[in-house]
Amino acid sequence: MNKVRWLVLSSVFAMLVLLPFLHLYQSYEAAHAYDLLLPNEKAISDSMEWLTSPFIKDPEKDLNQLKGTTWSGTLFGYKMSDPLAVVGQIAASGSVYWPFLLTALIPILLSIVFGRFYCGWICPATLIYELNDNLATWLRKVGLPIGRRKLDKRVKYLVLLVGIVLAGLTGTVTFAAMYPPAIIGREIYYVIALNGFGAGMIFFLLTILFDLMVAQRGFCRYICPGGAVYSLLGRFRLLRIKRDVSQCNDCAKCNVVCQFGLDPLRDNFSQECNNCTACIAVCPTDALSFTVNVKDIDYQGSGHLGHQYRRQQEQNSEKELA
Amino acid sequence: MRRRTFVQSLVASGLVTLASSKGQAANYQVSLRFLRPPGSLSEEEFLSRCIRCGKCGEVCPNRCIKYFGMENGLSSLDTPYIIPREQACILCMKCGDICPSGAIQPIEHKAEPIIEKVKMGKARVDTTLCLSYQGKTCGVCYRACPLQDVAIKTGMLEQPHVLEACVGCGLCERSCIQIPQAIRIIPNHDRLET
Repeated sequence: MNKVRWLVLSSVFAMLVLLPFLHLYQSYEAAHAYDLLLPNEKAISDSMEWLTSPFIKDPEKDLNQLKGTTWSGTLFGYKMSDPLAVVGQIAASGSVYWPFLLTALIPILLSIVFGRFYCGWICPATLIYELNDNLATWLRKVGLPIGRRKLDKRVKYLVLLVGIVLAGLTGTVTFAAMYPPAIIGREIYYVIALNGFGAGMIFFLLTILFDLMVAQRGFCRYICPGGAVYSLLGRFRLLRIKRDVSQCNDCAKCNVVCQFGLDPLRDNFSQECNNCTACIAVCPTDALSFTVNVKDIDYQGSGHLGHQYRRQQEQNSEKELA
Repeated sequence: MRRRTFVQSLVASGLVTLASSKGQAANYQVSLRFLRPPGSLSEEEFLSRCIRCGKCGEVCPNRCIKYFGMENGLSSLDTPYIIPREQACILCMKCGDICPSGAIQPIEHKAEPIIEKVKMGKARVDTTLCLSYQGKTCGVCYRACPLQDVAIKTGMLEQPHVLEACVGCGLCERSCIQIPQAIRIIPNHDRLET
């Protein structure tokens, strides 16, 4: 399951890289000027033609079905937007633009059912942040100081609020400049189709440094305003990870592997969990699995396969004998 | 108790935001000469609607839509613009169709709705620079115009006269053979109102 997630993450990222190239190909096609292209432009045009020709007939028109980024994209003709973009627009303009709100409907509904799944399964920044976290683990092994501070999880709701206030005061959608997935999609487009990285890249590099030096996955856990929106939407999510106490052996591998610093061993997933399935994948006894439930279960005690539980059982049986 | 005060402060600051966003004054000033894509709302409304997704530039077949960095102020960071002398709008109206946020309104790809609704700016001829006004028959701007005889007409020696229907696409400015260009688009930042 975790491997499927990696596949989804990397294919979303690959799409973000592919789409600007498709845009270039489309503009070459629209200009009807293949003979005038430079050699590298011809290479782009040829490779994109090879890639798309089995699926489409008229690249100039048909490729319009697939545009944009995860911040707001057109997927086979259907527009989908990040709920945060809608929040930002409502705050900035002080009014609701219904067609735009409807584009966020599917992400909102999915988040209500699956919680912060966007953060774990789709967000293009997550791919980089997780790789960055693997780098951090390696750097730590080498002996470099890596920040593993714990901050207050509610800081991100404050950031969301400050963003809304700022959007209202300045009359612009401020979240677009402080939300990594939006920034990444845009910057990839800038660097491939336009003339190089914009200002957002500096912000993104700063967030990577923050993750390395202050807190593990610190941006996602403590600052990301989009994460805050998804957490709030997924507060009463249906799909949750559950620990089967009779299978658990208290090895605590799930706690170590959880990049969000949650505590699967104590059944304490809360709204922060992004259903990334890393803990399910690492569990040696298959004690963790998905369930359909509106609430998390309380702490069920130590695992039945662990030493602690067995000792308790022995003590209990001794008491019964005595 | 801490949780309660936290929630209370959330609600309070939300109300402050709503109140402040209502009472905004129009204080937008333009320092650069740029156009917004066709169908864009008035500048202030455009900035509050645009979510900076970059799809308008991605769909533009003429690749005339570019994106601001810091040069036009932080409020227009990553918003689309067109510099007609570099690459002008061909009025294909695809950006309005793809825009999810309503910052660029969809307009039908037909002459009447385009003339009626697109208000990017208006061309102005500098008669001291224009070749036709200097006695050398030119008429390139007239021939570049997608709305010939509606937006621009020519008189003696192909001297261009811009008419009321000019939408400001900038193809005349793009095509002007004089350096610097003798016809320029004067941007209109009031554009559409909702």
